[in-house]
Amino acid sequence: MTVSSYNARAMIGLDVVLQALLSGFFMGSVYALIAIGFTLVFGVTDIVNFAHGHLVMAAMFVSYFLFKSAHIDPYLSLVIVLPAFFGVGALLYVVVIQRIVEAPHSAHMMVTLGLLLVFENLANLFFGGDLRGITTTYTTSSFMVGPVSVPLARLAAAVVSLLAVGALSVFLGRTSLGKAIRAAANNREGAALVGVNVPRVYLVSFSLGTMAAALAGAVIVPFSLVSPFVGHEFILKAFVIAVLGGLGSVGGALAGGLLIGFVEALSSLYISASLGNAIVFAILIAVLLYRPWGIFGQAKV
Amino acid sequence: MSGRLAPGLVAVAAAAAVPLVAGQHILTALIVALHASYLALAWNVAAGYAGQFSLGHSLFYGIGAYASTMLYLKLGLTPWAGMFAGAAIAGVVGVLLALGVYRYNVRGIFFALVTLGAAEVAKGLADNWDWIKGPVGILLTMKAAPGEFFFLRREPYYYVALAMVVAMLVISLVLERSRLGQHFLAVREDEAAAEASGVDTYRAKTIAIGLSAALTAFAGSFYAQFYLYISPETVFTFEPQLTMMLGTMVGGAGTALGPVLGSVLFSGLGEALRNLPFENTRQVVIGSKLVYAILLIVILIYLPGGLITLGRRRS
Amino acid sequence: MTASRPAHGAGLLAVRGVSKRFGGLQALSNVTFGVGHREIVGIIGPNGAGKTTLFNVITGVYTPDEGDVELRGMKVTGWAPHRICRLGAARTFQIGKPFAALSVLQTVRIGALNRIESMAAATARALEVLELVGLADKREHLGKNLTVIERKRLELARALATGPALLLLDEVAAGLRPNEIQEMITLVRRIAAGGVSVLIIEHVLEAVMRLSARIVVLNYGEVIAEGSPQSLVNDPRVIEAYLGEAYTLA
Repeated sequence: MTVSSYNARAMIGLDVVLQALLSGFFMGSVYALIAIGFTLVFGVTDIVNFAHGHLVMAAMFVSYFLFKSAHIDPYLSLVIVLPAFFGVGALLYVVVIQRIVEAPHSAHMMVTLGLLLVFENLANLFFGGDLRGITTTYTTSSFMVGPVSVPLARLAAAVVSLLAVGALSVFLGRTSLGKAIRAAANNREGAALVGVNVPRVYLVSFSLGTMAAALAGAVIVPFSLVSPFVGHEFILKAFVIAVLGGLGSVGGALAGGLLIGFVEALSSLYISASLGNAIVFAILIAVLLYRPWGIFGQAKV
Repeated sequence: MSGRLAPGLVAVAAAAAVPLVAGQHILTALIVALHASYLALAWNVAAGYAGQFSLGHSLFYGIGAYASTMLYLKLGLTPWAGMFAGAAIAGVVGVLLALGVYRYNVRGIFFALVTLGAAEVAKGLADNWDWIKGPVGILLTMKAAPGEFFFLRREPYYYVALAMVVAMLVISLVLERSRLGQHFLAVREDEAAAEASGVDTYRAKTIAIGLSAALTAFAGSFYAQFYLYISPETVFTFEPQLTMMLGTMVGGAGTALGPVLGSVLFSGLGEALRNLPFENTRQVVIGSKLVYAILLIVILIYLPGGLITLGRRRS
Repeated sequence: MTASRPAHGAGLLAVRGVSKRFGGLQALSNVTFGVGHREIVGIIGPNGAGKTTLFNVITGVYTPDEGDVELRGMKVTGWAPHRICRLGAARTFQIGKPFAALSVLQTVRIGALNRIESMAAATARALEVLELVGLADKREHLGKNLTVIERKRLELARALATGPALLLLDEVAAGLRPNEIQEMITLVRRIAAGGVSVLIIEHVLEAVMRLSARIVVLNYGEVIAEGSPQSLVNDPRVIEAYLGEAYTLA
């Protein structure tokens, strides 16, 4: 079997590698944010939300249109987008998700796939299938640090993502609601017995997860193209990262996100994107078989 | 069973008579519906009967499509035979995959993700495999030769698709009444209790996947001969998987008629809508997909056994 | 109990020096005992004594860290559960596991398919077993729609249909009303009279005392006593295990 050859197999300089690493770090931070929303929901409610990537897409469209119609910068639009999507998450939970929490895993998968299709077709219906992008004042800005170019938009996205991850960690670790969420994730019956309002915890977790997806969507709009179909790529990455990091582990998702960001950026220097994709999924399979609790997780006895 | 044989034969006879009255467009919609029904029934063998919820069946679909196509292009083997070769290859791949995966007792969402990963790996490899023309895909130019599974009119394709569905229904009904089928059900319901009842669950699951894989591959070959263009983007993606799952879950997993019902509803109507002369066909088609998605959610929540349960009484 | 002591009445099942550990917990320690042909042996002990773990080791769900299990003269340590069932040991589950979406008949028939290849013959055998346990009129009912006692009877039927030489019953009397317990005792006696040996875990002491020829007492994963029901009633070790040292009779 021959791999399609690329001319870039010629000398790859250190500065190119550094650039790739930086790019990987930036995107990895955003991937981590997406994965964390996903893994939080799974860790707490045991539901794999196949529509998670499409929530990112939905937020991208909202930010896109707020910019196109009212010239609101995506970062400013967060004031609207974040609470709105927290609400969307809560609505989805109440109307759909809470009715299948007790159902078998196959029902979770099918229902969230249904949600994926709803979002995709809604977006397709109203906005059409073409790829669209916006150009903000900083979309193409960058500054040099040594031999490496630092794109402002991506830097900002990474910073905000990491801050959000930090905020989420603090919330989960220090606040009483956050601890209640962790308790419910750990042991649902036990948490209920000590007075945790499990249905409310589920609702909050799902809404938080949705909001995290929305944040990620808004911050990547300045440098990404959006179409109704971009959600697929995000959910696949979320799967891989969440499994690598240990389903339900926030710290693991951060580590996994950065790892995948690096792997994606570096591998694109040497091999085609589709081959890199195949390798990533082969790793996913290996982890699922040999270390299902994640590379960064701990085996449960 | 004998009580259902007569109406079943009548239905088949009626279906066989359809081309006498239907035009090419309607036949196309019916062919799509039959193709989807067949796929759903094939997936149902593993997911509906044995409870193995695979998200990676596109792997087997693609193997079928490429196997029969490459055998035809390189060896001149008629796709009628190539179809069976594709099924055999897919079956072996399925068995090997199952043997490797079930050793580690992977279940539920983990199993689903492994199968999804397998299909994605296949797609990635296919995109980079020059011998099968990678992402560009293969355009089949065929002489109008029935002996080589190519027809100019829709009628023959319709009969082939109908025959495939009927065969698949027979296989499903035989399976339901067989010892192997009962083992599948036991595995689906409770693996520990199944083992404790003497069921070799490892073997049963492996057979379920292998059988389902081989059957799915036939549909891939049919696709290749019907649409005459295959590529990793068309056969190794999630599209075929979605088709199988929607039809089965909406109609009723674990039954013989459920997948057919669900598929006819979703795929058949969808295709028909696409061909009707609307003002804005695109909007109608997308709108219908939207409606189906909502319908899917509603059915899964309120009628988890699928639409087929509407017609049955269970104590 | 030392491992060198020959297992009592060994002939059908022999458990020799079995130990099993889960992380930091030693669930079973050097357990040795046996079950002979046409015998009913009871296993009792406080909660957490390791009784169900012992069943899981005997039936192949767990592999012991040390020791062996012999069934019908063959060493079955490490065998998969379905092979042990084929050889002749069938167990019921404590938390009644009917195949929820399957009918009573289908469930029992799956057990019957263990020894019988033909579906028709398996169906006939399943109906026989259902008659024996008194569920024949409920044969089309779905597993999930049964009452507690019906589930227990179904579990029993499923295990019996596999054609075992040894039946392992895990708390068949738990959660039953007094008249139902009596029914269960009668049923188990009838099954044993048909030539099947029974190993029964029970908390309901009345049931196990009346059924067993011999009882093995477990505590903290160890066999602390073994003997006839009468001899154990006043055994200080047994009383201590259940009630604690403070209650040891002088």
